[in-house]
Amino acid sequence: MTSITEAGAVTPAPQRMSLYRRHKDTVDGYLFLAPFLAVYIVFLVYPFLKGVWISLHDWNLMAVAFNPDAKEFVGIKNYVRFLWGRDMTWDMTAAWQPRLIVLLAGCAAAYMAMSGQITRRMALVVGVGVAVVWILLGFHPGEGGRWFDRRFWPAVGNTFVFVILTVPGVTIVGLALAIALNRETRMMTVYRTVFFLSHVLSVSVVTLIWAFMFNSQRGLLAELTERLGAEPIVWLTNPDLAMIAIVIATVWWSMGIAMVLFLAGLQGIPAERYEAARLDGAGSWGLFRHITLPGLTRTTTLVVVLQTIAHFQVFGQSHLMTHGGPNDATQTVVRHIYQAGFRDSELGEAAAMSMFLFVIMMVFALLQLRISRAED
Amino acid sequence: MRTRRQYWVLVGGLGFAAFLWSIPTIWMLSLSLQPNEILARTTTNTGYGLVPYPFTLENYINLLSLGNTPRWFFNSLIVATGMTAVTLILSTTAGYALARIPFRGRALVFILILGGLMVPEQVIFIPLYTMFADWDLHNTYTAMIIPRLAVPLGVFLMMQFFRSIPEEVEEAAVLDGAGRWAIFTRIMLPLSVPAITTLAIITFLYAWNDYLWPLVSAQRQEMYTITVGLGSIQSNFAQTEGLGRLMASGVMASLPVIALFIVFQRFVIRGIAMGPTK
Repeated sequence: MTSITEAGAVTPAPQRMSLYRRHKDTVDGYLFLAPFLAVYIVFLVYPFLKGVWISLHDWNLMAVAFNPDAKEFVGIKNYVRFLWGRDMTWDMTAAWQPRLIVLLAGCAAAYMAMSGQITRRMALVVGVGVAVVWILLGFHPGEGGRWFDRRFWPAVGNTFVFVILTVPGVTIVGLALAIALNRETRMMTVYRTVFFLSHVLSVSVVTLIWAFMFNSQRGLLAELTERLGAEPIVWLTNPDLAMIAIVIATVWWSMGIAMVLFLAGLQGIPAERYEAARLDGAGSWGLFRHITLPGLTRTTTLVVVLQTIAHFQVFGQSHLMTHGGPNDATQTVVRHIYQAGFRDSELGEAAAMSMFLFVIMMVFALLQLRISRAED
Repeated sequence: MRTRRQYWVLVGGLGFAAFLWSIPTIWMLSLSLQPNEILARTTTNTGYGLVPYPFTLENYINLLSLGNTPRWFFNSLIVATGMTAVTLILSTTAGYALARIPFRGRALVFILILGGLMVPEQVIFIPLYTMFADWDLHNTYTAMIIPRLAVPLGVFLMMQFFRSIPEEVEEAAVLDGAGRWAIFTRIMLPLSVPAITTLAIITFLYAWNDYLWPLVSAQRQEMYTITVGLGSIQSNFAQTEGLGRLMASGVMASLPVIALFIVFQRFVIRGIAMGPTK
């Protein structure tokens, strides 16, 4: 604004000068933005578009590396290859567990719409989404048929199981600790540091520690059970327990962030509300139920969404602790993409599966955006 | 807490919980300080393995004189420092433009950059791999540093901070005839030291702990970061070279981030609360 008034007040400057003056803000803006924008376009926007491009090709890592023309345009064939199968049928009861969960989510949305917690439009979007997912989950290979990629959907299922176990674990432990530690004394500050410390470790340190904690011959847990006179539990090579072991390690690793967010949320609840409730004779459970929990609704949603986004991309824990096993019991989506690309050299299919991951991430990210917008 | 007694019960209970919570970390530290001959027999020698007795520094001495760990540590240091330095430059300039310069198309640029938050590394690592392969840049520090620079989290962090600085501060400088660059470097940057520190620390932590991209990009052992290197040795290293040394590598991989966290705790927590780092 200043430049325009200046240009009007001062005697007419040479043509080129005033052109710059008039557009000074725009020129400056893009000059300041240029370094980041260049990197952003070349290393985020372009790779994303190139990913779409690769996903439409039969693109072998080795073949294309030696001869750039060795790729072949195949349209959506890569998508069909991991999403679909041979001799597919549809029925009501296939994959009933995930479908039941989807239906329950739909009911929850309907309830929230009726009690006015979410808008009608939001409820409609959720409802349509639920219906589509519910119908799609009914497809499966019929007799004599099979998935083109037998490992993809189990990996998706495992990833969801991992998320469904980890996120509540992190949220509940984080909430409990935040409430217990929400006092400004020296000891509490020290404890917060201790509980948060595991969050700054790298994934390979976490898996190093926990793989040995769970080791059935020399691990700490095995030696403890042995001293108690019991048979050591074989964690990491048992298909039922391997996932639990990874979830435990992950909760230990990422609880800190939930605790910190909840502590911030607790600071936002006005002390007068507690005072008023106490005057009304509320006990500590009543205070928790009627003041603390409602005051933390937004924080809880934020924690759940952030954790879901983070853990849906789980890779290191599965790659390092169990190698996706035993028998693919802990294979996850990102590890499946990694293997399709760098073990099987099928970059086309790997890129297509990345797009599947992106769509899921986008849904969660939009949700997060809505929540943070609502906060402002 | 209504009474002192209840408070101390809480302190005691939480102390016990905090102890349980840190057992895995203490165990790693303790194992790294015990001789390998004992660890080959048992990992719960003294005090359930949590007390390093018999004590030895042999594992650390071996670690520094043999093997790749020092090299990996050095690689991580270069990658993390480089990434942090460049991220600070890109994020402060772009954040300032978005927060304070009313340029044409700002809303559009803002949305374009906001969209980048939805594209995590896990979605684009395949095309990124082919790009850096075409340029013959794998196994270089450049390849390990660059992709993360495009993540817009830092831009938004700085943008929010610059917006919180009162406009009058800038207006006074404009009246004094200061140009935009001068305002940015002499007024805005000095005012934003806390935000810059926060961004620097979370970027460093992220770079140090990143696993997937360095795993894909660095195929030669001597170019591994310590996070990738530690991952590569943990499946069979224990049998051949000794559990003690493996745990010592783990301690080495954790020391810088733990030190950083303890010293800059407030900044770490503030930064992590602002956005997901992994």
